[in-house]
Amino acid sequence: MGQYFAKLFDRLGFGSKEVRILILGLDGAGKTTILYRMQIGEVVSTIPTIGFNVETVSYKNIRFQVWDLGGQTNIRPYWRCYYANTDAVIYVVDSSDRDRIGTARDELAAMLDEEELRAAVLLVFANKQDMKGAMSAAEVSDALGLPRLKSRQWAIYKTSALKGEGLDEGLDWLVNAIKSA
Amino acid sequence: MMNEVIQTSLARLQIMKAKALAALRKGENYELRTELNSEYKERRKEAVRRVIANMTVGKDVSGLFTDVLKNMHTDDLEIKKLIYLYLINYAKTQPDLVILAINTFVKDAEDSNPLLRALAIRTMGCLHVQEVLDYLCDPLRKCLADANPYVRKTAVMCVAKVYDLNRAVAEENGFVDAVRGALADSNAMVVANSVSALSEMSAMAGGRGDVWRLDTATVGTLLTAVNECAEWGQIAILEALAEYRPASEREAEGVCERVLARLQHANGSVVLTTVRLLLRYEQYVKRADLLAQFAKKMVPPLITLLASEPEIQYVALRNINLIPQRHPQLLSKEIRAFFCKYNDPIYVKYEKVDVLVRICSGSNVDALLNELKEYAKEVDVDFVRCAVQAIGRLTLRHEAAADKAVDVLVELLQLRADHVVQIAAVVLTRILRRYPRSQFAATVVQALCEHADCIREPDARAALVWALGEYSEHVAGAAGRLSGVADGLVEDDSGVQLALLGAVVKFFLKNPQQGQQLVVRVLKTATEKCANPDVRDRAYIYWRLLSADPAAAKTIALSERPPCRDDVPALPEPLLAELIAELGCVSSVLQKPARQFVYARTDRAGVPRGVAGANDCDDDDDDASAHPAAPGAAAIAADGEPELLIAL
Repeated sequence: MGQYFAKLFDRLGFGSKEVRILILGLDGAGKTTILYRMQIGEVVSTIPTIGFNVETVSYKNIRFQVWDLGGQTNIRPYWRCYYANTDAVIYVVDSSDRDRIGTARDELAAMLDEEELRAAVLLVFANKQDMKGAMSAAEVSDALGLPRLKSRQWAIYKTSALKGEGLDEGLDWLVNAIKSA
Repeated sequence: MMNEVIQTSLARLQIMKAKALAALRKGENYELRTELNSEYKERRKEAVRRVIANMTVGKDVSGLFTDVLKNMHTDDLEIKKLIYLYLINYAKTQPDLVILAINTFVKDAEDSNPLLRALAIRTMGCLHVQEVLDYLCDPLRKCLADANPYVRKTAVMCVAKVYDLNRAVAEENGFVDAVRGALADSNAMVVANSVSALSEMSAMAGGRGDVWRLDTATVGTLLTAVNECAEWGQIAILEALAEYRPASEREAEGVCERVLARLQHANGSVVLTTVRLLLRYEQYVKRADLLAQFAKKMVPPLITLLASEPEIQYVALRNINLIPQRHPQLLSKEIRAFFCKYNDPIYVKYEKVDVLVRICSGSNVDALLNELKEYAKEVDVDFVRCAVQAIGRLTLRHEAAADKAVDVLVELLQLRADHVVQIAAVVLTRILRRYPRSQFAATVVQALCEHADCIREPDARAALVWALGEYSEHVAGAAGRLSGVADGLVEDDSGVQLALLGAVVKFFLKNPQQGQQLVVRVLKTATEKCANPDVRDRAYIYWRLLSADPAAAKTIALSERPPCRDDVPALPEPLLAELIAELGCVSSVLQKPARQFVYARTDRAGVPRGVAGANDCDDDDDDASAHPAAPGAAAIAADGEPELLIAL
């Protein structure tokens, strides 16, 4: 019933619903760069995000409210404050950082355990493919334990935020996944 | 179409009902949290407004911290301001979570809109949270060098906040130096804010003087800036200049001359601060003609302050009250400006009467007495008392006024208005104590006796009894009157009892034959039947004195006593100097130096600054007890100072 009226309001123009997306990942993975690449299509110089960025991105006639949360160890505990009403999570991994891929796996697992994110779809970006010695998408996928995920829609794309490669493909998948969800 | 509208309104109603029910179940904060996380922009905005509304009425909404923070990143300046307000209020309760806001602050501090840059840097400073400090330094450094003066002046004040939070950080990052540099800024507003930031920092450092010291060159820039900046900036600069010790007499004269124009300002605080500066510089300027000129210039602006609204008038009067104690003659020609208007609020009237008494000189005392006589005929009982007491104080100060004052008071007695008679009787006897051997003693005592039937209050009756004893030779039937009082001795007020003891002893010593019986009766009753130990003790003393050595009793009881003085004395000089150094502040309203009621923020909460220091307590006690005219002020200090209670 409520759903029905919400849709009715929507059609009559009472505000517009936004799709909420979180960009998460360890510090220095390239989350902020990806956010602004998505929004303005350019590479901006960034500083470590203490706190969060949030921008509205329109892609294929869908308005996304994209949250980029800081990845520092002291901020990670507060990610959970942002989980409510989230439709999708983009998890960004620095493919060249083999040392911390384990940490990335643990954080991801902890996050996916959260009740509030039960219905959220997961898109993983194996970022920094432009770097020498970067792991492939399959390697990252295995390292994160993605194949073992049950009852969750997920995908992994290899990207380079600097060059702008792979992002659109990932977003296309995301749009379809959200529409079908 | 119609159908659809009805349908939507019905739907709205249903949603509202559902919401209300949910609110009842889960509480308002739960509902607000859902709204703050809504997918709809408008609903989030409305929710932020409601959160702030709840905050301002005192409901605890600190639990919504992260949810409110999520809305911080917005282009909507209204919402941004509201959220900043929220942060300032709750940052201290959630210091860990504040870091979630840092990124937005840092971005806002680099926004293209200077107002937003200033807002961000100001709010970051206001959070007063250690965790923010590390992230504040970079934006603050940029804002201190901003192209926009509004941002610079905000940044300068932010340095003072950083300094308060962590001195080392402020100094190591060169922020304090940057503020010192900002004294030479091209914008007067920035200069004024730098001055006030530096003054605050140096107060925080305990006035050790390593934060800043004015020099001749800086004084020059300040004097230029003072004419250009806004009123509060002017006050800051004038205050700093007032603390400055000029290098030469020439410089002091220059400073005074250049700030004279500030006396014309519409803001009372600017005027009073300028007056403060001029009064302080009197010690540096030696030329008498200049001093006279400065003093003359001060008068009209002070009088103008009396034309403002009553609250401002009151503050002005409390300040003006101090000035005649330094310059008794300064305002004496302006006495008419201080006459009460019929519609002045009562607190203004009291202050005016007090100032009138202080500024009156011998030449215009007659005019003032006539005015006070009119006040004494008003209906307000308390004000009438105040006016009659003022007549008394005036007379104690100016001997020339005594004759006229006695005439006025006797005239007031003849009105036989109950409340006037009581206080007039007391005041008349005080005048007799001041001028004991004057020609009007007989008039006074006779007038008192004539209206003795109206004199009912204990104080007034004690005064009458005293006068009967002291001047029995001027009254026919003094013995009878004293005897009448003696009949009711046991039930009487202790003040009257004590006065009667003295009076009958004096009467007996002057007229041994007539008084013997009376004195024996009074002393016997007092020692045997009076409950009050004071009265009994005194009666015993007199009894033994009279029986042991009547000659000695005569020298003691009838001796010449020192004349009484004004019961509202001038403030002691060190206190006055301190109050004049704080003229225009709350201290002059309370007539108590700031160190006694301004609390150091961090080290010892609840203890005034001065007491936190070493041996200030003794001074404090002296000040308080030497100035009984400000009971309210004494009570304020007593809250924080148990020592003071004992002294009082």
